[in-house]
Formats: sequence, structure tokens, C-alpha cells
Amino acid sequence: MFSDRRQFLTDFGSGLGGVALAWLLGNRPLNGAEKFPNFQPKAKRIIQIFCPGAASHIDLWDHKPELERMHGKPLPGEENVVTFQGKNGNLMRSPWDFQPQGETGKMITSMLPNLGQLADKMAFIHSMQSRSNTHGPACVAMNTGFIFEGFPSAGSWVSYALGAENQNLPAFVAIPDVRGIPPSGPANWTSGFLPAQHQAIAFSSSDPIRDLKRPDSVSPDAERATRDFLSLLNREHQQKHAGNSDLAGRVAAYELAARMQLTAPEVSDLSKETRATRDLYGADDANPLIATYAKNAMLARRLIERGVRFVQLYCGSRASGADGLLNWDAHRTLKADYERHCPILDRPTAGLIRDLQSRGLLDDTLVLWTTEFGRMPTHQEGTAGRDHNPEAFSVWMLGAGVKPGVSYGETDAFGRRAVKDVATVHDMYATVLHLMGIDHEKLTWYHNGIARRLTDVHGNVVRPIIA
Amino acid sequence: MKTRCLILIASVALAFAAEDGPAILGKRCGGCHNSQAKVGGLDLTSLASARVGGAKGAAIIPGQADESLLYRRIREGSMPPSARLPPAEQEALRQWIDRGAKWDKKIDLAGRRAGYDWWSLQPLRKIPPDASIDSLVRAKLAEKKLTTSPSADRRTLIRRATFDLLGLPPTPAEVESFVDDPDPNAYEKLIDRLLASPHYGERWGRHWLDVARFGESNGYEQNHLRPRAWHYRDYVIRGFNQDKPFSQMVREQLAGDQIAPGDPEVEAATGFLVAGVHDTVTIQNTDGEMLKRANDMDDIITATAAGFLGLTVNCARCHDHKFDPIEQADYYRLAAVFSGVQHGERPLVATTEKEKLEKPLKESEAVLKDLESTIASFRKEMMPRVEAAQPKIEAAARPAVAREGTEEKFAPVEAKYLRMNIEASAGGGNAQLDELEIFSGVRNVALASNGATVEAVSRVSGEGKSHYPPTFVIDGKYAERWFADSKSSQLTVAFAKQERIERIFFSKDRPLGDARTLTGVPTLYSFEASLDGKTWRKIADSEGRLPYSPKDREDYFLLAVLDAQEKKQWDDWQSKLTAVKAKIAKMPKVPVSYIGSFSQPKEPTYLHKGGNPSNRGADIAPASLTTLSKLLPGFSLDMSAPEGERRLALANWIVDERNALTARVLANRMWHYHFGRALAGTPSDLGKNGEPPSNPDLLDYLAGRIHTSSWKLKALHREVMLSETYQQSSETNQANAAVDADAVFLWRFPPRRLEAEAIRDSVLAVSGKLNPKVGGPGFQLYQYTVDNVATYLPKETHGPETYRRTVYHQSPRSVRVDVLGAYDCPDPSLPEPKRVVTTTALQALSLLNNSFLMEQSDFFAERLRKERNTARAQVDLAFELTFGRMPTEVERTAAFKLIDQHGLTIFCRALFNANEFVYVF
Repeated sequence: MFSDRRQFLTDFGSGLGGVALAWLLGNRPLNGAEKFPNFQPKAKRIIQIFCPGAASHIDLWDHKPELERMHGKPLPGEENVVTFQGKNGNLMRSPWDFQPQGETGKMITSMLPNLGQLADKMAFIHSMQSRSNTHGPACVAMNTGFIFEGFPSAGSWVSYALGAENQNLPAFVAIPDVRGIPPSGPANWTSGFLPAQHQAIAFSSSDPIRDLKRPDSVSPDAERATRDFLSLLNREHQQKHAGNSDLAGRVAAYELAARMQLTAPEVSDLSKETRATRDLYGADDANPLIATYAKNAMLARRLIERGVRFVQLYCGSRASGADGLLNWDAHRTLKADYERHCPILDRPTAGLIRDLQSRGLLDDTLVLWTTEFGRMPTHQEGTAGRDHNPEAFSVWMLGAGVKPGVSYGETDAFGRRAVKDVATVHDMYATVLHLMGIDHEKLTWYHNGIARRLTDVHGNVVRPIIA
Repeated sequence: MKTRCLILIASVALAFAAEDGPAILGKRCGGCHNSQAKVGGLDLTSLASARVGGAKGAAIIPGQADESLLYRRIREGSMPPSARLPPAEQEALRQWIDRGAKWDKKIDLAGRRAGYDWWSLQPLRKIPPDASIDSLVRAKLAEKKLTTSPSADRRTLIRRATFDLLGLPPTPAEVESFVDDPDPNAYEKLIDRLLASPHYGERWGRHWLDVARFGESNGYEQNHLRPRAWHYRDYVIRGFNQDKPFSQMVREQLAGDQIAPGDPEVEAATGFLVAGVHDTVTIQNTDGEMLKRANDMDDIITATAAGFLGLTVNCARCHDHKFDPIEQADYYRLAAVFSGVQHGERPLVATTEKEKLEKPLKESEAVLKDLESTIASFRKEMMPRVEAAQPKIEAAARPAVAREGTEEKFAPVEAKYLRMNIEASAGGGNAQLDELEIFSGVRNVALASNGATVEAVSRVSGEGKSHYPPTFVIDGKYAERWFADSKSSQLTVAFAKQERIERIFFSKDRPLGDARTLTGVPTLYSFEASLDGKTWRKIADSEGRLPYSPKDREDYFLLAVLDAQEKKQWDDWQSKLTAVKAKIAKMPKVPVSYIGSFSQPKEPTYLHKGGNPSNRGADIAPASLTTLSKLLPGFSLDMSAPEGERRLALANWIVDERNALTARVLANRMWHYHFGRALAGTPSDLGKNGEPPSNPDLLDYLAGRIHTSSWKLKALHREVMLSETYQQSSETNQANAAVDADAVFLWRFPPRRLEAEAIRDSVLAVSGKLNPKVGGPGFQLYQYTVDNVATYLPKETHGPETYRRTVYHQSPRSVRVDVLGAYDCPDPSLPEPKRVVTTTALQALSLLNNSFLMEQSDFFAERLRKERNTARAQVDLAFELTFGRMPTEVERTAAFKLIDQHGLTIFCRALFNANEFVYVF
């Protein structure tokens, strides 16, 4: 409990209450007085698109002509390699052709025609490696920098560093796929050991914020009368215990909640979006999976537009008993699985990027596309799918501060391993934080013996992809 | 890779001799010139690397100090950059190099990190015999020019003490009788009463369960529940209630199976070892499995070292600890101690009871085994006969169903509807179809594109959604499959119009090559046709087909060649087999619990270079930490020592009273829970990165009291709570607040917000619904479903089985449960020595709108109506229940108004949301 701090109340009066409150009531004093941003940011907000299940780099972004040429032959030097699910067969080319895109001529799978058209804007990292080859830990690692659960998500770190631009909305929102939560679920958007206000609020176009709505049994009048009565009780209580500022903090939190009840439904209300915008995303597509993801993408834009710092947008969920169906984990039937998943991702995501651009939001919004690891260039023995491959995968980013149309790092001829400029999730987040004006080494929180970071004790800013 | 955890430490003054060269280098240069930071390319942690030198060449030339770059730079004062080396050390270095730079041991860690002389690694301070908590607190207050606060009133004290020891509000009767008690020892009696309550163990056990990272699911991707993990939770609660010496609880949690084998009350304690996360996804490549195992070990080492010793040994997994004197090898010494521990269940039952349960089971199993071997030899005997007859039998039968497709042909029949009844499918589990084709001539009339529709019940995933709809079977594509909702199922196709059908083709895996699992193929089925959807006529079925599974097929052939007598014999065996299996299934099982199992490790533990288990370093024997080697003698066991002995040795070493750290950590934790702030503010880290104690004498006094009270905590609770320090008012005082705003030095009792569990329990206590049952299986505040991975969905209604104390909630990992998650209930994925306390808008939304709160507000209102007749009495009782006091006139008037206009439930809901309800002063 903190003693009376006039400054806090002043801040609250001037409308910075939510943020000030967050700082005041958190575990702040122990964790230093570093001010963020550390330097002029290029990006103010982030949309992170996450395709759980390990979306195949060699079937989407990382074109490997040698793989096509050597199709059906053993993987040189690893003829008997055993990976996550077992033995591998011979090399297997992508079921789809790649096509050159834009002025850069970047080769992108023909399964993503809309995203392909945006290739000139993207900065790829083709040399990513993961420390885990299991979906749960690897997803968590892509979001927190650690393969263990319980560490704060990147969005929580950004919320902790920069707070929200809009005090009536959370700083960090996670939009799970309609098919369900990703592997390891909320561990992907948890605040871990950071104070709880930095955890993401999870909701989507089809699932509203939990407990946001006043219960039906409470009339608006009753709600108003309740608040008046509470004010009276709390005022008397505060007078009796003068000098305890977190009592005022809790009152402020109730006021913030009331404002959120007004603001949040407006954000989720897509009815005011024009026909043209809905078409751009595919929000009325006959395929309900496309339409729902499109609405989620639209929601992401609306959140960003209203000052939410960090939005996670999921395309796919955890694995179900029928694999390949709910996410990008194509162990057995790559072709059929990706013919299902690619159209869900393609048009709505491309629509989102174009929409951000036309509204001028891309100037200070960073869009990040991620997955947890890559897939083998071979097929899994006895199947027409690919096994896990943590030694190579691709991510890309575009928008604020990102150099357009570049590719950083390389995998070998087959996409089996990252070989040039090997990068990790820590490098990726060092770069992302850099674009947000944050020195990733200064963003720390003491926990169990060490000043923890999103980038652990690693991370180098990938300068070649910065504009 | 850059590393930035390195900090140079101000050193201890020591007299250096020439042989201390490496120690001086370690202390003065090692912060930058080590194997990881390697500033200027120079690594001074071994002679070899020092001879190779850095960017400017060799640093040391043995025998020639004056020619050695290192000595020259030190002599001229350009290194180290911070301050010139004292002459004695310069001289020692010169002599050491001149004598050949003998470097026979690893660089001394003490120099560049917190040393072995770090405060927490010392014996307990000598405290004057007449010292007390109050005298030590006052001495510190005087030093800081702070004054004490007057005693709090009795109403405040009983609320404070009851929440502190029980985590529940005092009842109105308890408050009144305490306030009115003329006995000057009333407060002392109160504390004794609370300490004797069974709810004390629930409250303080919960604190320990935070430290023990006790969760009841596996975590990670699959995150399945551990339905039988609660025995450990009950062990902890029982231990606190019985005032079992904590030293004994430490020993039992690490080695209960060794201390009292066959005593379930003690063996349950080893649940501590496996209370953490465990990844259950199988990985086929060995590197992956090794890493998983190493992660399990890491969880156990982290929890043990931090929980009992306040040491962050986990930081030494990949390298020597950057801040504390913990070698990387120390980490692997503990790994060797725990290397026999496996996640999972083990029998938890008294030895005699176990034998009683196992005896009939073993007998029946022997019968079963006999029977099976008899059948097996009969089978073998019949083999030649079967082989001879098989082609003929096969030719006579219809082919088995196939994954890639099965055809049924029949005399043409008029139909508007066709249904498939699936009675069994391969491997049990859900029947699956990727396509069902029904032909009229060459036209597939079942196609949706031909106007057909389909109905069936499908398997539902975790979120209650179906991702496997029956439309997949009539979409003309093979990739996606319908999953029936259970083993048997029915699927009905309605054609666009009446059709004359004559052939059906159904499949699960087309095209082959996409080898999927063998299960799910319908094996027993029938097709029925109908014109009106009401009367049905069977048109085909699986009758006469060879069985699908190889084993069933074997039996099919065998039965076909037996004569009558043999057949009788066979049937007799089969019925006996069924009977004995049924008998075994019905027998009471030996109770098991998720308290870990133990097996002797097959190979020695080795150091993982860089923390990578595939990068093998030296073998490491089970041993104590060198960190505490100055404090007490260590232990070191043989590489092949029995694994149980290892854990017992560690446990005994931890609670050895010369090991001052253990009692210090425990005393500090207790203080943390009593006052909301530990004396050293980082209860699981008393190392260099932790906070130093605000009152070192007090901390060591308390640690000493733990020893003198034989590790019985109730005596210490009593002493703390009877102190004037604890009984101080929590009101502020401007002069004191100006010096010590957070009351670190305890010039007042620091008020605080209740934890999530205490808030929920208080709601239940106030509404009158709290079921006070202690112990036993827990309850769930979520809807639990499994579809490969587990899903936990919030519940909208909460039955009476959930009206228990929150410590009995089966808390899963990485799931934020309504209300609890909002109020900072930690995710048990990691140990939580100190909960963060936040104030957020979501907390407000959750207490205002969550269905649990609405239900309980109704119950609370119901209780008021039942127990009091008048509005005034109801309001008074409500205030007494929620706040432990009567309302003021103003409050009462406002309450009447609210109730008049909106009813009692709305009033009750408001009280649950008041600050006074969730704060303790």
C-alpha cells in the first residue's frame, strides 16, 4: 500500500488516470525508473498475426527451386533423420508453384495471391530458428521469448513500457481464432510475472469481453444507484483511512471500468463498416472461417485505430484430434490442409494491410507475421505431410519503420536449416522493440533472481530490415 | 552472443599470496574478461585462454611478469579501468606470473560475484538475549527517526488477525464477543483460538502452495488435468494444522517415501517434487526428449532451491551464476540428486492396505495369464489347419471394409432417404468418413451439388464447436472428414428427389498415400432406405465381411476350422476370459496420487554445456551446493548412490541448523505473509539480486526463534501477532510517512488488499453458502473438455459443489479463472513467492458482473431475509457480515433508499464491491 501521493490524483484528474494508476499500483518501485520510449519510436502500435501449428516456410514464403528439382530424392546427409513424429521420407516439393511478385520479384506461393501482391512492402526474416519443436512451448517462446510458461508476452512488455494510448481500452488485446485458442492457450498472452493490468484482454468479433456487460437482472437505474451507494461507502471509508492512495486507485478503476463498458462495445461493432471495407477483408465470404477471421482482422484495425498498443490476431487454433484441420500443423495431408488454411489467411490479412495503409495507419503501425517454427522439406514417412522443423522458419514484418521489400537471412538449398544470418525470437523482438523506441536491454522486471527481459540475455536488432 | 548480467563487485579485503593470482584475476578482471563477455577478445578464466590472449596478443607469459601484457597494463594503471589495483595485489600477481603462473583450480567465483561472505550465507547474528520483536523494530525505528503508532482497536484487530490466520472474515458474533470481552488476555485468547482452527492450515497452506508452484494440470500444449494431485495439497494443509515442525515438512517433501515408506500421510509430501509443469507431448527424436527431461529437472531444482533456500540456483543452468556464488556444477549436483524423480502417479496407500488390495488382483491376473497362454498354444496348434483352409474361407467371404473405400451393391431400390447406422468402428473411438457416395447409375445422388442434404451428430471440440460436420461426406472432396460423436452413430442423407439407387461407396481415407490413422473406419454397419423418412428398409450391411482388424480376422479363420467339440472348448475359454477380465476391472484399485515416482537413474548426471543437454560435459555426483560450504559441511555421494538416499541427504543438509539460510528464508516468508512485506523484500531470493533485509537483526532473531521453537510455526505466529508491532494501528502519520512512505520499518501496520482466494471465500462466508469441509478432492470453476488438448471454459453457473474454500479449487496452469485471475491469483506455472497486487478495471467488471457474484448476491439477500425481519435489522446484519461493524446513520439511510428502489440483491452486490470489503487495516 502506498501513502498519499497528490501527484497521482492530479494525474487522474487530468485524464491520465488509467496509466498513472497502473504505474502506481504495480510493483514499480522495485523495478527501476527507466523511462520509455528510450528514443524516438518509428512505430506506435503493433498488430501481430500468428498462424499456430507451424506454418510451413517452404510452402508459403521461402522458395526453394532445389527442392523442386530434387523432389522424391533423399535429403542429402540426413537420409534417416528422425524428427518430432518419427521417420522422414524423401524430399517433397511444395504442392503449389511459387510466383514472382511486385518489383522485387519476391517468390511467394500461388496459394496466397493477395498477400503476394504486398510482397514489396514486406521485410522477411528467412533464417529463424526455435528452441523447441513442440507447439506449446514454441508458441509460448514466440510470444514471450521463453519456452517455459509463466513469462510475460511481448504485448504485456509493451503495455508495461508504454501503457495505453486510450485509457478506456486495454493496451493489449488478443483475438483468438473462432476455432479455439492456440497451443498453450492464454500462456501466449499472459502478463506472467508483470502486473495483471498488462495481460491481454482476449476477445474477438464473435466473443465479447468477459464480464463487460451489466447483468440483465441489473437495470441501468439500479446500476447508477449502485454506483452512487458505492461512492458513499468508499468516501466514508477513505475519510476514515486518509492517506492510503490505493483506496482512491480502486475507485478510479471502477470509473475506468464504467468507461470501458461504453467504449468497448463500440469498438466491436462492425456494423458501421462500409460495404467496400467489408469486401476488402472478405467479411461476408460464404466460407464462415474466412468471414470470421476477416471480421477479427477488421476488429484488429478498429482497436489499433483507437489507440490499443498491441493486438495479437490468431489465424488457427490448437490441434484437435483430427490433425491439420484447426491449424497449420500439416503432418499428413499438406495439400488439403493448406488449401483450407491459405484462403482463410490470405484475403482478410491482405485486406487488413491495405486498409491500414489507406487510412494512414501503416505509417506508425507495425504488422508482424509469425508462427512457432517451420516444417521439414521431406515428407513424413507414409504421409503426404511434413513434420516439425525448429531449425528453419520465416517471419515477416511491414509498416512503420520497416524497410520494404527486403529478405534477411537464408536457409540451405532445401529449407532444412537456417544457414545465413541465423535469427531467433530474441532478435525479432529486439528489432520490434527498437521500432517501438525501446532498448530491449532496458526493458526489465526483477523476478526470481534476475532482471528478466523479453529477449532473455540475448537479442540483436536486425538492422538490415529497418528503414 | 553478448551477455550483460556481469557486474563487478566491490571486494572483500583479503591478504593475497602469490598463489592467489587466479583469485585476483577473477575478482578484478573476470567481470569483463571471462569466457562469455570476452571484452577485447580476452578471456582470463584459464591459463590457456590467458596465454592465447585477446586482440592485443598474449596476456600472460608464465615466468615473465615484466614481459606479460597483463602485468604491464596493471602496473601502469590502465587496467582495470575503474581503479588502480592495490600494490599488494599487483605484487602478488607479479610473483605469481614469475613463478610460472600456476593455475591449478578453477577461477574463484567469490571475487567477481557476491562472495561466500554474502550476508545470507553467514551464520545467524548474535542477538542479545533480552531482545524481542518489538525491541528490534523500535531500535530500527529510532535509527530512522520514526515513531510507533498506537494500538489498533479491537474491532480492527479481530478482522486483521482473522484474515491473517484464516483468510476469512470474523463472524458478527465473534466480533462482538471479542470487543466486549473484559478479559485483558482477550487478544491472546483470540490468537490461540484462530491458531487452533482447521481453516488456519487452509490459509497458510495456500501460501506455501504458491511457493511450491502447486497446480493441478500438466501445463504446456496438452495441459490435461491431474485429477489425483490433491493429496499433496491436503498434506500441506494438514502439516500446518498439526503444527508439524517445518524442518520435518522440508524433509518429507523431498524424501517422504524414504522417511516413512508405506505411510500415505507422509508419502503424499513428495507431491512437492512434481507439483510443477510437465510437457506430455511425446517427441520422437532424442534431443527433444532430453530437453524435456532437463526442463522437468529445472522445474524441481528451481522450486527446491528458491523455496527452501532462497537461492536462484536456476540461474546456473547454462553458466556459473552471474551474481551469486553458485557454480554451474552446483546446479547439476542438484540435478543428480533429483535424477531419479519421474513425473506421474504412484500408489498412495498404507503398506498393509496395498497388500490387501493387490492380493486378489494378482491372483486373478495369474488366472488370466494362464488362460491366455492356453489359448495361445491352442492357436499355434491349429495353425497348420487354418493355413490350409484359409484361401477357401477367404474366397467364400466378402472382403473386409477398407479405409480407402468399401462398396455395397444391391438390387435397385426407390428411395428418398438413405441412412447409415454405424455400430462399431476400427480401434473404437469416433467413426469417420471422408465421403459417402450413393449411386443411381453413374450419378452420385448424395452430392450436395446434386441437392442432397445430410444430418448426423458430430464430435464437438473443446469450445463446444463442431469442426467435423457431416457435410464433409457429401461435398465431393476427400480431404475433410466427418467425425461421429461416439463409437456408434447414424448419418442420414436426403436426396433432392426420389431416386432409384443400386450402389454405395463409402471411405475414410481417400486417396491412400495420405496414410492417416487406421482407426475410425466403420466396421459394423447397415444401410436403410426410406421413401418418407419414417419407414425404413434395410438394403445392405456388413454381414459376411471378413473382419477389419488382423486379430479379429485370425479368430474368424480359426473358428471356421474348428469342429463342434473344439468350438465348445473355445467358447468356454472365451467366456472365462471375459469373466476374469470383468472381475479384474471391478476390483478396487490401489489408490494412486500425482506425487511422482522414483527409479534409479541408468547413467550418471552430467553437466549440460551451455544448458544444452545434448552438449555433454563432465559427470557430476549428487552433492550439496558449494555456495554454503563456509556455513556447514556439505555432502557428496557416489555417482551410483541410491536415488532416494540422495534426496534424503539433501533434505537433511537443508534443515541442518548450521544452515542458517533455511530458517532465515522461512522467517522472512512468514513475516511477508503477516505484514504484506518481507523483511528482505524478495522472499525467494536472498542473493545479490534480492533486496537486503530492512532489519537484519530482526530477521536473524526470528530465524533463531524458528530453531528454538523446534521449527513449530504456531509459536512464531503467536509471538509475531502478540507483538506491539503487529497490533499497531494502520493509520498514517505525516511525519513518519514523509520518511518511510511504505512503512518498510513498520511504524504502522501496513494495510493491504485481500488476495483473490480470500475475496472469493469471504463472499461465500458472507452469503452463508461456504461449505467448511476440509480436504478431499477439489472442485472446478471451469468446464473441462479434452479433444487431444485440454480446454478450460468459464462456467456461467456454479453449483453447490463449488461453494468451498478456494484452496480446494483444481487450479490449472495458464488459465485465468474468473474473479481469481482478475485479482492476481498467480498462474502456478512458476513458483510465486510474492504475489503482485494490482488494481484494474477488469477487477471491477468481474466483481460487478460475473455470474458468481450475482448468484452470491442473491444468496446473501436470501440470508438477510431469513435471519432478520426488518429492513433496519437486515441492513445492520449486512454491514456486520461484510465489514464487521454497524452502519453509520448516513450509510443506513442510503442503504434503505437503494433497497427500496432496487431490492436487497442490488444492495448486497454493492457491498461486495466496496473498498472496505476487500481491504484489511
